[in-house]
Amino acid sequence: MYNLGTVLWFEIMRTLKRKSFWITAVAFPIGIGLIFAIIYFSNISTKNAAENTINQKFSFMITDDSGLINKELIKQHKATESDNKQAAIKDVSDGKIDAYFYYPDDLVNNKVEIYAAEAGIFDNGRYEGVAKTILQQSVESVTDTQTTAVLKDSIGFNSILYKNGLQFDGYKEIIAPGIFLVLFYILIVTFGNQMLSSTTEEKENRVIEIILTTIKARTLIMGKIISLIILAFFQVAIILIPTIIAYVLFHNALSLPNFDLSNIPLDPTRIAIAAIIFILSFLMITGLLVAIGSAVPTAKEANGFFGVVMIMMFGPLYAVSLFVSAPTSNIVKFLTLFPLTAPIPMLLRNAIGNLTTFETITGITILAISAIVILTIAIRLFQYGALEYTNRISLKKVFQKH
Amino acid sequence: MNAKQTKITSTTPEPIININHFKMNFGNKTVIKDLSFDVYKGEVFGFLGSNGSGKTTTIRALLGIYKPTSGILNIGNKPFSIPSDIKLGYLPEERGFYRKETVIDVMTYFGQLKGLQKAEAKDRAETYLRRVKLIDMASVKIDKLSGGQQQKIQLGITIIDDPELLILDEPTKGFDPVNRRLLMDIIQEHNKAGATIMFITHQMEEVEQLCDRIILLKDGVARAYGTVKDVKREFNNLSLDDIFIKVYGDENEEIERNNNV
Repeated sequence: MYNLGTVLWFEIMRTLKRKSFWITAVAFPIGIGLIFAIIYFSNISTKNAAENTINQKFSFMITDDSGLINKELIKQHKATESDNKQAAIKDVSDGKIDAYFYYPDDLVNNKVEIYAAEAGIFDNGRYEGVAKTILQQSVESVTDTQTTAVLKDSIGFNSILYKNGLQFDGYKEIIAPGIFLVLFYILIVTFGNQMLSSTTEEKENRVIEIILTTIKARTLIMGKIISLIILAFFQVAIILIPTIIAYVLFHNALSLPNFDLSNIPLDPTRIAIAAIIFILSFLMITGLLVAIGSAVPTAKEANGFFGVVMIMMFGPLYAVSLFVSAPTSNIVKFLTLFPLTAPIPMLLRNAIGNLTTFETITGITILAISAIVILTIAIRLFQYGALEYTNRISLKKVFQKH
Repeated sequence: MNAKQTKITSTTPEPIININHFKMNFGNKTVIKDLSFDVYKGEVFGFLGSNGSGKTTTIRALLGIYKPTSGILNIGNKPFSIPSDIKLGYLPEERGFYRKETVIDVMTYFGQLKGLQKAEAKDRAETYLRRVKLIDMASVKIDKLSGGQQQKIQLGITIIDDPELLILDEPTKGFDPVNRRLLMDIIQEHNKAGATIMFITHQMEEVEQLCDRIILLKDGVARAYGTVKDVKREFNNLSLDDIFIKVYGDENEEIERNNNV
């Protein structure tokens, strides 16, 4: 395409020179970093606060009708036993002691009762913490370690599944094709608005006429789309690289799970399908945004339409559970095959493995036709509609006039 | 007899632009009824008409921006297409820029789009900026320039690759006399170097100064067409200002009457 390289370079460089690009590009990783930092410090301080709370000394009485409480533990906590519940509650309300714990005889149907002096929102939790610790330690002292582990739900399970005679891990299978879903989401969220403004900007700058006598509208649009894809991958790299570095360096400190990336299954068919859906979806939505940008006079007006497109595109995310639990339902089939809602359901269902061969072929065909038709209309709208600097232009008008 | 008249009579006219029975409708509205004219290689051609008479529409159709309802519109014996065999410089009526980019970046970009290497495009842009005394503004963003300065940049973009055919839609609109003279000089230099120039203007002294031939467009047809001398003769040797008033005066009165109603 004549001059495509020049357009590409100009579009990339002028975007990279914008402060807004870097603010958007850096804001995400900085935001993620801040969230990690907040989680980390919050975990530490909560853990310290909880330990401090339990270790805080306060005077308390216990009445044990359950028969489970270990008398030695009562002594260790320097607590006293009471056989008069009402008197103990009165001692608490009179301020003679800090707390009173009543363990009923039927712990299954009744609650442990705690009466205590108010000590502030956070410190009030120490009473329940101590009452619970005494009960747990008392039970552990009379049971073996395995029973204790079962009771504490700390038993590990290791499932090995087989599919077609080979070991199969359903969750890991999702990762490789699922990357395209994440990528699509990030690209549209971060670059959707830029796609829209890149054409409204041409219109608002009134540069169209000189452009259209210098290069073909198709070259300009393709240059813009390709430059946006390159910039989007650059943006993804800006997000992913610090995230990976942060994970490698701090995953232990942040209590994040260990991922062994070396044994992620790579299903070439599903990955190829995901790539095709991703590319077609990206082209379709880009064409749609270019068409909107060309048809309306200002970026402000275009944003209204942009909102509608985003709702249609990401609305299916609210039906995620349906895609997993009822893939054969009519609503799922509709969302999968209707062009404007198709990208997310198709990418998601391909990742989890319930997109049928028929749906795959039909869906890809629909996406391909939609992308071609929308891009063709977008280029035509750009070519003819962009000269309507102050008016909104209709498809009918464009195709009637020319 | 001045130089431009000599040029016409001493060479065989070869049209670089040929418009034949051009008709243009927008919906039910006919903007151009039946328009035919030629612009010869090497001449300066004035395309005249009142506001809304269809001059810009004709140029847009000639350049393929609009598709004509019917008729032939050729540049160099064929409809204009990109890339073109003939180097074209077009200064549109709607002045447009990438306003957030620097002067030198925008000029270099358009130079590249017109087929120049980046270094050459930048050199030519700087040479032009020196000529129009804007070299100090090379690294300034375009939206920081005044309207007149932006127009100079626009003309610079139009002529950066020394086009063979210049189509200028009111090139001096909004200029003070000093800058108007500077721009007219630049346009004349390009004509002397062999460029054909077709331009729209409402400044009749520019037409007198520059044009070899003119066309007056009214109600979608050519009201007068020929050398400046021939057109004047057709109107009993009135000045071009008076001819313009005579041809379009009633039209303006009608517009005013409609506005009052």
